[in-house]
Amino acid sequence: MSIANEIRRLGSQQQTRRVFLGRAASGIGGAALASLLSPGGLYAAAGKPDVKAGPKGVIHPLHYQQRVKRVIWLTMAGGPSHLELFDYKPKLAEMDGQPMPDSLTTGQQVAQLQGQKLVCFGPQTKFKRYGKCGAEMTELFPGVGSVADEICIIRSMFSEAINHDPAHTFMNTGTQLVGRPSMGSWATYGLGSEAENLPGFVVLVSIGVGRSPQPIAARQWSAGFLPSRHQGVHLRGAGDPVLYLQNPAGVSREQQGDVIRAVNTLNAQHDAVVDDPEISARIAQYEMAYQMQMSVPALVDTSAEPESIREMYGCTPGDGSFASNCLLARRLAERGVRFIQLYHRDWDHHSQLREELPVKARETDRACGALIRDLKQRGLLDETLVVWAGEFGRTPMSQRDKGSPGRDHHNKGFTIWMAGGGVKRGFSYGATDELGYHAAVNPVSVHDLHATVLQQLGVDHARFSEKFQGLDWRLTGVEGARVLKGILS
Amino acid sequence: MNYFSSNSERGLLLAAGLLLSALANSAADSVSFNRDIRPILSDKCYACHGPDKNARKGKFRLDLEAEAKARRDEHFPIVSGQPAASGLVKRIFATDPDEVMPPPKSNSQLTPREKELLKQWIAEGAKYEAHWAYLPVTRPTVPSVPGAKSKIENPIDHFLLARQQAAGLTPVAEADRRTLIRRLAFDLTGLPPTAAEVGAFVKSKDAKAYEKLVDRLLDSPRYGERMTVNWLDLVRYADSVGYHGDQIISVWPFRDYVINAFNANVPFDRFTREQLAGDLLTNATPATRIASGYNRLGMMSTEGGIQDKEYLAKYAGDRVRNTSTVWLGATLGCAECHDHKFDPYSTKDFYRFAAFFADLKEKGWYKDGFDKGDWGPQLKAPTPEQQARLDAFDKQIARHTAALAAITDEKLAAGRAAWEAKIRAFDKGQKLTGSNAPAVKAESTAGTKLEVVKDGEILASGPLPAHDDYTVTLPARLEHIAGFKLDVIRDDNLPGNNVSRAGTSFYISEVEVTFTPDKKSRLQPVKISGATADFAEEGHPALATIDGNPRTSWGIGFLPGRSHNTTYTFARTLTGSPDAFFTVRIRHSPDHPRQHLGRFRVSLTAVPADVLTAVQLTGEARKEAHEKTIAKFYRTIAPELEALRSQLNLARAERETLTGKIPVSFVSESTAPRVMRVLARGDWMDDSGEIVESGAPHFLKQIVKPARATRLDLADWMTAPDNPLTARVFVNRLWKMYFGTGLSRNLDDLGAQGEWPQQLDLLDWLSDEFMTGWDVKHLARLMVTSAAYRRSADSTPLLEERDPFNRLLTRQSRHRLDAEFIRDNALAISGLLVEQQGGPSVKPVQPAGYWAYLNFPRREYASDAGDSLHRRGLYTHWQRTFLHPSLLAFDAPTREECTVSRPVSDTPLQALVLLNDPSYIEAARAFAEKILRQGGRGFDKRLAFAFETALARPPKAEEAQVLHDLFEKQWRRYQADKTAARQLLTIEDAPAPKNADPELAAWMQVSRAILNLHETITRE
Repeated sequence: MSIANEIRRLGSQQQTRRVFLGRAASGIGGAALASLLSPGGLYAAAGKPDVKAGPKGVIHPLHYQQRVKRVIWLTMAGGPSHLELFDYKPKLAEMDGQPMPDSLTTGQQVAQLQGQKLVCFGPQTKFKRYGKCGAEMTELFPGVGSVADEICIIRSMFSEAINHDPAHTFMNTGTQLVGRPSMGSWATYGLGSEAENLPGFVVLVSIGVGRSPQPIAARQWSAGFLPSRHQGVHLRGAGDPVLYLQNPAGVSREQQGDVIRAVNTLNAQHDAVVDDPEISARIAQYEMAYQMQMSVPALVDTSAEPESIREMYGCTPGDGSFASNCLLARRLAERGVRFIQLYHRDWDHHSQLREELPVKARETDRACGALIRDLKQRGLLDETLVVWAGEFGRTPMSQRDKGSPGRDHHNKGFTIWMAGGGVKRGFSYGATDELGYHAAVNPVSVHDLHATVLQQLGVDHARFSEKFQGLDWRLTGVEGARVLKGILS
Repeated sequence: MNYFSSNSERGLLLAAGLLLSALANSAADSVSFNRDIRPILSDKCYACHGPDKNARKGKFRLDLEAEAKARRDEHFPIVSGQPAASGLVKRIFATDPDEVMPPPKSNSQLTPREKELLKQWIAEGAKYEAHWAYLPVTRPTVPSVPGAKSKIENPIDHFLLARQQAAGLTPVAEADRRTLIRRLAFDLTGLPPTAAEVGAFVKSKDAKAYEKLVDRLLDSPRYGERMTVNWLDLVRYADSVGYHGDQIISVWPFRDYVINAFNANVPFDRFTREQLAGDLLTNATPATRIASGYNRLGMMSTEGGIQDKEYLAKYAGDRVRNTSTVWLGATLGCAECHDHKFDPYSTKDFYRFAAFFADLKEKGWYKDGFDKGDWGPQLKAPTPEQQARLDAFDKQIARHTAALAAITDEKLAAGRAAWEAKIRAFDKGQKLTGSNAPAVKAESTAGTKLEVVKDGEILASGPLPAHDDYTVTLPARLEHIAGFKLDVIRDDNLPGNNVSRAGTSFYISEVEVTFTPDKKSRLQPVKISGATADFAEEGHPALATIDGNPRTSWGIGFLPGRSHNTTYTFARTLTGSPDAFFTVRIRHSPDHPRQHLGRFRVSLTAVPADVLTAVQLTGEARKEAHEKTIAKFYRTIAPELEALRSQLNLARAERETLTGKIPVSFVSESTAPRVMRVLARGDWMDDSGEIVESGAPHFLKQIVKPARATRLDLADWMTAPDNPLTARVFVNRLWKMYFGTGLSRNLDDLGAQGEWPQQLDLLDWLSDEFMTGWDVKHLARLMVTSAAYRRSADSTPLLEERDPFNRLLTRQSRHRLDAEFIRDNALAISGLLVEQQGGPSVKPVQPAGYWAYLNFPRREYASDAGDSLHRRGLYTHWQRTFLHPSLLAFDAPTREECTVSRPVSDTPLQALVLLNDPSYIEAARAFAEKILRQGGRGFDKRLAFAFETALARPPKAEEAQVLHDLFEKQWRRYQADKTAARQLLTIEDAPAPKNADPELAAWMQVSRAILNLHETITRE
């Protein structure tokens, strides 16, 4: 059969052949063929899409059985100290004030401690054991501790980058080069979204009691070279929850509907003349926009939640806090959003570690625990993957040039935790060396983490690529990555 | 409804690609290596059997003919003409998973068709061909097209028709004139034609009307603006550094250089030289040095704790990626850590290329970027007009200074004696108590909440009106008042860089004082004779607040927000009393809306104690030093000097204001080249790699020179007539601009993974034509005057069937306008557009809080005022990490990296922008006003006017019906609810019309509908 015939045959399986003539976004990847050959892969632009089926992404069938439908990623921006929160090091306490052994630090990257004496700095918080599993964590985390038997702590993460901007970019996109898609974009691109009237990738940034937090760039939720609709949509804590969501003053919802109806009618009339598939796409987007104008305000209005639930998270509606965003994350999860990413800033404790770390712990701890419990009580935890991670950890050495001591950026060993579908519960994985410097046992790279998350979503990271500048780009890079089988149940 | 509905993004291009080869094969049945085989080998085999030696498996490579055909153990992979004897054929058709190639585990699988092609290729002799893009351009003969029935305008049509004829296709007819003028206007200027221009063109009987229109548009200054948008994407121009704090920088003169260069039709080879090496030219000028800012447009970082060396490596890599993509269509950047997987670029080539730029004076860590705004070499280049004005001011200042000096202290002696006597007389009376009492009251004219919080410190909160003046009242209980001090106080809770309520600074245009000596007296204005600030942003001197000119102002700019102050002196000293009080009115600059003071204090200043002490000393006790002290002070208040002092202040204020307007831009500065090494796996910490010298990729023609090859040599090499890439790359991109798709579809990659060009003959003919003079306008003119360009975008069933992706160009295409032009179009249609070429970037309105996650410094976006709100999208401030959301929604790139081709998406966020962004609401209002003003009487006439203006065509009856229904309903609604009408018509930053006319409001709704139409934002 000739290719032209094959295309025509495929075309006839669609509602309309016109979809083939549409302007496609740039690039094709290994998955494209699968998409082309699978009848469900392309959505006819004309008419209303089949909502029940839910538009899929480019991968189907999925490579693996899907363990989770969605991801909630809690980004603790700034680099929370693993040494105060999860990774208790008695040896470090013992060596407090003594020089850090050269054997660990020679030839390693240093951030703000460049040219300074490297001195051991013992743990600055008390640790205790939580849950039946006896997970060791800081006393500052009673909330996370209360779900210790639900989570899996990984104490052997490492990253390539040692400064905030590139480290975030690396954690989100798998490369320090800018302009590449973020993991949320990959997820919705690969899997589509089941959310009605909502974007598939939503980002929330919380308001905390701030010193002067590190900036966060919109690049962190960019779709890179993937189609722009997979870009994360920032759900704002103040003002319009989505930019330009509100009608102009003096225009009621009905009147906005009048305008949109007129636009869509005229567009349809024009389409009848010029036969341009982009027009039906645009008609659908206007309808979607109109729906979002209703659905988003309803989504963010947490006042409808029972008092007990708000109390559990510790939030007041509209306060823009991390707790509120955790509650919103659950609401987004319920609505089928594929990738929900929260940012909480100001974990960058170069100084005042003892004074400021508890502030950040207080702002996040209770809501983290509540989120896990709430997902569980609704039966959502099994189909959701929750990840708690910073962009890196902090040095076992103290930093003392900015007032009361703190710790510098550290990328050779740090801690994250995960919970949810398919991940071992009440489990610990990996370890750093006795001073908390290098990931020593079962080291986990950022690519490994991404590969694992993708696998839980049903995707083989190695087979999920997109052609860009001639290369098959993967979230997990070219060097290879391994799925963390050891943490999967 | 699902957000990803109408998801048609995958597969289409693949289908296009497959179909193409099908199309191609129908023309000639034999297999061509470059067209058919290389794409397969490159995509499916080269990753393991290609140029990258480290990734190579089984020591076997397929990209080199000799190796592919050499004996391996017991067999030959490729035996020309004998597929049955070729190991390759056996392996690709094998069914055993251990045997079959590519291995089942890999992502690359051959389709049955690909296997057959490879087999056929070997059967036909397995001929290898050099990659087309690395062979020099040779000018092909223009094919004759005997019996062609379609119109032929120039050689482009010959090439296209020849190919169409071979495929048995006939192109569609020419588009109508309305479509043509709108197409041309968008393509060449990025703006729509006016209704009058459309009318004139449609009616014209001139046989050359089309060509004349093309010439007019090419000559329009808008042409340069339109071309610049794409160029800025390529060279990743932005107004902020991109990394971390994403601090704001000044490089807009570079943008203006590009606009001017396109408009002046600077030959592309010169354009290339000036950007890469404008500083190295023997006849370097400020303009070419600004052009050399190209090398400085990459992202930079001042993040604390980053390593200088690491970032130098990042910047070097960025430059290689950028220059090789922009000029060579090469993905040389892929060779940073390993040899290129598909093309012959080696890692060494990458670092040799990087070495061209090793002489640039730069830092990895711009340590003082945040604190001092130091981002490396800059050029301050006054325009000739500015220089003339500066010189004139200098003369004035010298003259006034001399005149002041000529009035000696002796000449002032009488006045001074009287003043001293007054002071002494007063001091005999009672001392005042509570001297220098703090301010008691502060008021705002526009609703800002002002509170005296402590020690006279005033805190602003609550509403943030665009324009506001503050008035502070404070008791005058000082004996001898010389003036006052305005302290601007840093407050961590203020978003505007901690010193103002928005933006990064505050801007005070005027300060006015009144004095009320006692209960009985009326308030009297007090003249201020001097103002000195501890710090001022360039162009915003303190004196600007006393020059009576509201357009000049004092501000502190984009440096870390710190407390600052200005001390004002009165033109005469005043004496306080228990009941006396002052008011100080602080007028904020109308040009910087919302950038108002957040925390501040006004306090009186006394005549300096040493002066007062000296005045008390008379007779013998008074020494010469006392005299001097008094005399010096007296000169600041002497009424005899007042006129001259004012003139001098004015001249100084104007001069310093002007200095802030002098273009400043990053430039290249050459210094001793740093040592460049091959970094193993791209690791910047590894110092063991081979040291390399600058040079061209090894497999291309080399630069032969005894000394180090410079950036200038690189530019010359890229634009040499035998460089095979540069001209093809540019021609291909320009073709896309006018036809919707490149002749080779991958605009960013002319390498093995790129697309075999649809018509290499045409691409080469155009490239050769281009290289004779590097005349960009000539190339543009050739393309847009071709018959092919003028065709209708309407297709036919046959063409849809045979060439659904229109790769043979039998018809034109439709595509959505780029982000900037969507904005420009709405502004032009509504009549709001302010056409002013060049200048600093502008800030149109943007949702509050959008910059909330920026820091170092923290800042709250403050939109501009007046004309700046209605400039073309090209001039919008480009904040890399938070690009203006309206532009971003329509796929404008952040310009963190090179963007060759913007994606074109269609999202609900775009609908929300066009429906609800205040800029578009304002455009709808202006459009409605224009319709009522110019559209004649009655709905039909008005709608016809609206359609002609927005779409260059009259409405159809069915369209008119829909909009008439809309209009009627809205009118009824706004008649019933005039408050709603007023709300709709009231737009922040744009004063509402006086009467909230329901008819205008209803037309505004109709205008919104028209501005949202697919057709409105589509070029056909």
